[in-house]
Amino acid sequence: MSESGPSGRPSQTLHPHRHDEHPHSAVPYYAVWIALVFFTALTYFTGKAHLGSWALPIALTIACTKSALVALIFMHLKDSSGTTRLVFGTSLVFVGLLLFFTVADVATRFTPATPAGAPFGTERSQPEGLLEHEMPE
Amino acid sequence: MSHEADLGLAPGILGHHFSSLARQNEAMRLGMWLFLATEILLFAGLFTGYAVYRFEFPEAFKECSRHLELTAGTVNTLVLITSSLTVALAIHYARSNRPKAAAVCLVLTLAFALAFLGIKAIEYTAHFHEKSLPGKYYAFEEVKVPGAAMFFSLYFLMTGLHGLHVVVGMSVLSWILWRTLQGRYNERYYTGLELGGLYWHLVDLVWIFLYPLLYLI
Repeated sequence: MSESGPSGRPSQTLHPHRHDEHPHSAVPYYAVWIALVFFTALTYFTGKAHLGSWALPIALTIACTKSALVALIFMHLKDSSGTTRLVFGTSLVFVGLLLFFTVADVATRFTPATPAGAPFGTERSQPEGLLEHEMPE
Repeated sequence: MSHEADLGLAPGILGHHFSSLARQNEAMRLGMWLFLATEILLFAGLFTGYAVYRFEFPEAFKECSRHLELTAGTVNTLVLITSSLTVALAIHYARSNRPKAAAVCLVLTLAFALAFLGIKAIEYTAHFHEKSLPGKYYAFEEVKVPGAAMFFSLYFLMTGLHGLHVVVGMSVLSWILWRTLQGRYNERYYTGLELGGLYWHLVDLVWIFLYPLLYLI
């Protein structure tokens, strides 16, 4: 990848073949598109079936699978350098931290820990054993 | 810039501060991915707000979701997925020294983007008519439970910000289409086109999560 010299050298030695030595083909793109359509149909039908507490995990698993296909194949993350992968992976870690701790906070609030006038979290979600009635749904 | 001519590049592609095109390409890609990371975190803030309020008002979210136009959302999902394919193909054709095919793919992508916005506009019009609007403007007759206005606040914020990204993406892709028609991209250099494509795929990625979370509760 080093073409250091100024002009004067024959051009065929100059243009660098980048990280993609293998010939590229459009077939993976069509394959990913078919998979994405399939997963869209899957999320449509499982979503319409209203599977109760399974609905959200199923929907998110399908969405993550679709995203992985788009990121790896369409966005070429599969063939990218480690640096770009690190950037993408790091952003996902921070999304996970943000979501996890925020939801964990909201999910574990109980009445004595909620300040007066808080928009929600006052009349539900008691930790087990503190009050006898169950939280609604 | 005989330096660029030797490489078979159009003038103005290789910055003089880069020792090689490979390094410039890598720097451009890294910069774009850093920008995309900030975009992901921007949307993550809204998704977190969504998670909190859905946790708090599960019944209201369920009911409101079932009043959205599911067919419109599903068709829009397929439209965006297909537009992602055409962008990927545009890059593929540019790399194969077929700028005309690449331009056709970009025009198709822009057409899909317009179709997406058109369908979204029809949905928004319906929301304005039935007054399923954010915050204090909420006066939807069919769902009158606490949290319903919050669902529509989040719905408009998330789809609105996403729609804004569609418009920006269309502007970027139009610019890149112009550059493609000028013959700027070929097997030696197509990074500009590739970065525009990355932005478009991100728009698709966000919608992949918005679709089940808004339409299919």
